[in-house]
Amino acid sequence: MSIALLPLFHFLFGVASLIWKKGGKRLFYLALVIDSAIIASLAQHLLHQTSISIVLGGWGRDIGIELVADRVTLAFSILAVLLGFAVVTYLWRDHLRGYFHLLLHLLFGSVFAMLVAHDLFNIYVVMELLTLVSSLLIGYRRKPQQIWASLNYLMLAALGMGVYLFGVAIIYYHTGTINMTLLADRLVGAQGQGWLIAAAILLVAGIAIKAGIFVFSLWLPAAHATAHSAVSALLSGLVIKMGIVALLRLSLVIDMQLPLLVLGAVTGLLGALYAAYTYDLKRMLAFHTMSQVGYMLIGIGVGSELAIIGSVAYAVGHGLFKGLLFLTSGEVVRTTGSKLIPEQISLREHIPRATRVALTIGTLAIMGAPPLAGFCAKCLIAEESAALLLQVLLGVISLGTVVSFAKLLPFFVYHRAPVGPRPITISFSILGMAIVGFLPLSFSFVPRSQWMAELNPYQAAEGMAIIAIGIITYRLIRKHPPALSQHIFRLEEAILVILAALIGLFALHVAF
Amino acid sequence: MEMINGVTVAVVLFGIGLLGLIIRRDLVIKLLALGLVDSSVTLALVSLDARQDALTPIWQGAGLAYVDPLPHALVLAAIVINFALLALALVFVMLLVERYHTTDSHRIAHEIGRETEE
Repeated sequence: MSIALLPLFHFLFGVASLIWKKGGKRLFYLALVIDSAIIASLAQHLLHQTSISIVLGGWGRDIGIELVADRVTLAFSILAVLLGFAVVTYLWRDHLRGYFHLLLHLLFGSVFAMLVAHDLFNIYVVMELLTLVSSLLIGYRRKPQQIWASLNYLMLAALGMGVYLFGVAIIYYHTGTINMTLLADRLVGAQGQGWLIAAAILLVAGIAIKAGIFVFSLWLPAAHATAHSAVSALLSGLVIKMGIVALLRLSLVIDMQLPLLVLGAVTGLLGALYAAYTYDLKRMLAFHTMSQVGYMLIGIGVGSELAIIGSVAYAVGHGLFKGLLFLTSGEVVRTTGSKLIPEQISLREHIPRATRVALTIGTLAIMGAPPLAGFCAKCLIAEESAALLLQVLLGVISLGTVVSFAKLLPFFVYHRAPVGPRPITISFSILGMAIVGFLPLSFSFVPRSQWMAELNPYQAAEGMAIIAIGIITYRLIRKHPPALSQHIFRLEEAILVILAALIGLFALHVAF
Repeated sequence: MEMINGVTVAVVLFGIGLLGLIIRRDLVIKLLALGLVDSSVTLALVSLDARQDALTPIWQGAGLAYVDPLPHALVLAAIVINFALLALALVFVMLLVERYHTTDSHRIAHEIGRETEE
């Protein structure tokens, strides 16, 4: 029964935090501790079996709602709990209205519901719930930019989920089920048929609007850049990943290799290109999230067992370091009073010590420096993608990461720095330790023997070489920014681009 | 199969809604268009298994032919969710109108772009 409790009691705690307004933070800590206990028992169960499954209400699979917890659930739950601890500690000194904690609980409840969802319609409901909660969180401070970003997000996400539901309708019409286990059986002979390809494209496109994939999720830079930094950390670290989880679950049932690989390439390259020439710190981080989603999509698209584990590990690692980077960006903006990286660098002696160390760890991890989180997971994906084209593509995306983060390097020059507020230091050290100790942490969801087989000194050398080349490339190209369109991020243009991309995906399938 | 059935109507409605979202600048009309998109999807789901010779899935006795009730259950959930989304979006529009005194999306985007640059 424990896996059904995971999402449920968060919703109860949310209501409780509305009643006991002063204790919102304490209730949230308590909820996270209970989460940890449930996750520990889940980990215990998963030592002996690959997944735990229950059907609610004692119905059969065909009409009941099935919940399944496996290693993917475990990996992302660990990420969620770590981010939860870091974010609520980060917000320790902020005066928050009662309903902020309600929203946090709802967010975590729906994240856990997503992680155990095992039918197409549950995914739809949870995605919509995440849309509602995250748009409220984006607009929490009620600044006009936040409200506008949030409204754009809401409209595009609603459209996306409409497209997704069309895909579900097609699948239900042909197979008569929406349960993943049953679908896997009934779709065995159907792979490659026209209706299934159409449905797959609709499902992918619908989720892509929510999953931070370039050309589909054009709401993302504005939303993540204007929201409160703690909220951006949760959105970028956790909510975006839920789209990835949905795509991962679908890709195991329906063949969607082509759209996943194409979207992975497009989002990886364009995201890095925009990130490299954006000088607003939070906006740069937002663009960069889109580029890293490309990595995860390519891992899922390759589709072998190891590549998928690599994707999951990378998604968890990315959640940790991007969460950390967004939290530090909030501190950097607060202490320097500027959003732009060059101005922040000129005022860098005001940035507290812990913030600067955290920024260093986050940047090194995202660049793929050897023992940290980013490196380990990148190795797995790269090792599994045998095709030369994919190898080159992954190399270029890594290079793009280094190029876009090279402009943060001047932050790391040593200065006498003030000591920052204690809760924020603690918050950073939670995530920082998780990033440094990612390898042992990941033994809970990646079999140890597989890590040991994949990690070797050559890859470490390769990682260091990419960082060196990236920094040199940044020096060479920073003076010549290409003309990147900023119009596509407006609501109407974004919808047009989505439509064009959808038609493009269909055309691609007809062509191949 | 007749040309005019639930699914084709749904696709046409989806297209009209999408068009409205793109070409109309008034935010309230955009939201109406979004409502049309959502309704078109629910229509598609309901009409998947619509048949003349079967009853609506409400218990009227054993041995009768009923249409598949599962899409109906799904549609109920989808309608409620879409209601929540639209209500929230309208609140956001209200907050924006209070400040900028317009529902024109281009003008709001322009004003906000200017304010951010300052």
